[in-house]
Amino acid sequence: MSFIDHGKKQLRGNIREYGMYIALFVIVVGFSIATDGVFISSRNIVNLVNQTGYIAVLAVGMTLVIVIRHIDLSVGYLSGFLGAVAAIAMVSWDLPVSATIPLVLGLGILAGLLSGFLVAKMEIPAFVATLAGWLGYRGALQLSTRGTGTIIIPDDAFNAIGNGFVPDIPGIGILPGVHHLTLILGFLGIVLFLVSEINARRKLQGYESEILPMEMFILKLVFVTALVGGITWILAGYQGLSWTAVVVLIVIIVYQFITTKTVLGRHIYAVGGNPEAAELSGISVKRLTYAVFGSMGMLSALSGILFASRLRSATTTAGQLFELDAIAAAFVGGVSAAGGVGKVVGSLIGAFVMSSLSSGMNLMGMDISYQYIVRATVLAAAVIFDVATRKRE
Amino acid sequence: MNSVAVGTAVVELRNINKSFGAVQALRGVDLVLRHNEVLGLVGDNAAGKSTLMKVLSGAYIPEEGDIFIEGKKTHFASPMDARRQGIEMVYQDFALANNLDVAANVFLGREAVRTQLGPIAVMDNRRMEVEAQKLLNRLKIDISSVRLKVERLSGGQRQAVAIARATAFDAKVIIMDEPTAALSVAAIGKVLDLVRELKALGSSIIIISHRLEDIYQVSDRMIVLRHGLKVSDTPVEGDIHEFRERVVAYIVGARDDFGGRAAADKRQEA
Repeated sequence: MSFIDHGKKQLRGNIREYGMYIALFVIVVGFSIATDGVFISSRNIVNLVNQTGYIAVLAVGMTLVIVIRHIDLSVGYLSGFLGAVAAIAMVSWDLPVSATIPLVLGLGILAGLLSGFLVAKMEIPAFVATLAGWLGYRGALQLSTRGTGTIIIPDDAFNAIGNGFVPDIPGIGILPGVHHLTLILGFLGIVLFLVSEINARRKLQGYESEILPMEMFILKLVFVTALVGGITWILAGYQGLSWTAVVVLIVIIVYQFITTKTVLGRHIYAVGGNPEAAELSGISVKRLTYAVFGSMGMLSALSGILFASRLRSATTTAGQLFELDAIAAAFVGGVSAAGGVGKVVGSLIGAFVMSSLSSGMNLMGMDISYQYIVRATVLAAAVIFDVATRKRE
Repeated sequence: MNSVAVGTAVVELRNINKSFGAVQALRGVDLVLRHNEVLGLVGDNAAGKSTLMKVLSGAYIPEEGDIFIEGKKTHFASPMDARRQGIEMVYQDFALANNLDVAANVFLGREAVRTQLGPIAVMDNRRMEVEAQKLLNRLKIDISSVRLKVERLSGGQRQAVAIARATAFDAKVIIMDEPTAALSVAAIGKVLDLVRELKALGSSIIIISHRLEDIYQVSDRMIVLRHGLKVSDTPVEGDIHEFRERVVAYIVGARDDFGGRAAADKRQEA
């Protein structure tokens, strides 16, 4: 088989997964050309990352919720409400950031467990239970900001999470004007990726299972290396990694690890695939439902922190429609509404696809009404594509 | 699997009673399964076959009656309880997670753990894959890779995976609920071969089936249930046509002579 044939076969076999990356690539290249390179500028990329952060962490949690065949509509206003709680904690209660963040994350977990209780224990459909949450947290957000209106957050450390950058290692003479720590991290990331890919390939060769032909494998490595290297270079040329990017990376790494390497992750997907079979295998579907909603609550809190920090304030409308953006990101990222299918990295890419669209269209000065319609089309197309490729298998 | 002498009872159910509201599904059923025996369990719809097996697999708790496993009286509060004591059930709908691969399904709920990080258990995927492959080889199940997702397997292959899973952890007893009901003729042959293979490896098996010819091919003995009562307990022997005629007579109630006249009269009263 020739190289091209292999490529075609590979593309056909994994079209669902690659489709997303191709879409993101097309969007990035398209907007870069349309905006004369402004889209791909360091400044815009950093903005894009920081704007996507608070949706991306929600999308990661939402992925697991949808995988176990539920939905969580409450996350937007929960995120807004907990952002307000963070602001009040710092402004009115004089709590330090180091206490505020754990407090808010803890409250997020409790809120998530409450949804979990309604769904797992009371057996209320998640749509209804979390719709109640949507209303309730909206009310709570309005109550908590009623006296003051927008609460300005004066704490620099807190505000750095959404606006600041990781400081560079001081005293490195070579390559002045470039963020060295970012370069080093990017380089380490690439090395780690290459080592794990090569190891995985070697392991696979012991089995009869299909592996990528050598040329395709090298092409994949080169592509990812170039991509990560490029982003690293762009970020390093500006002010380096933003704290938001670091937070998102940590969330992705932790969730990727849990979903692919641990018993907990295996059981989450088993429950999504066949809840009855999971239960018969001794897996407690209830406990898993609690865990997944608890994690969703914690990530909602994190999203609230990122957003409040980015705006340097808590507003009465914070979190509005975040839940729908997160759900859209998850579906664009390949999560199936039928349950059991979806990867956290996919949802991250989905979040970037959606926010890249907004960012690019904003840069082009497109009317916001048309922007919604374009995003609607992309969402529908992504799901249609997903369903069509699934059917063909 | 089990090294206990052939002929002794591995499972004994005594006087099992179970009702659902006003409906008495089981009315004092006795059942003995011997070591390395394949026992067929037949009966019309609502005769109580599935209920009886759900009692044995821990899904239902009987109102009355005792369960003995290798002579020891036990009590099952849940399917996991029964599983821990070596009672494995293969469900009619396979009870597999189609989105996971073969190895993941074989080890579902019993994953091999490499490291325990507090509440987080890291799986040993390689070990599970190797073990699953060994299991398939031992049972002569033809699936190209244990990394295949179950959704890509045929019905017969799925049934084989479900059966393999039941045998993965040294089960004492494997209960199969209608293992051939959803399969094509070719696949049925393979599943029956698998049952023979399991018997050769020393398993004790109970098969529920509507298909008398399947039971005839692989079973040593057959129990017929009717209206929640045992109406026949007979070795599988003789010509298939004669055998079928006799069993069908018991299933439909045309013949009712099990346990002598007195027992039959008692059944009539009930």
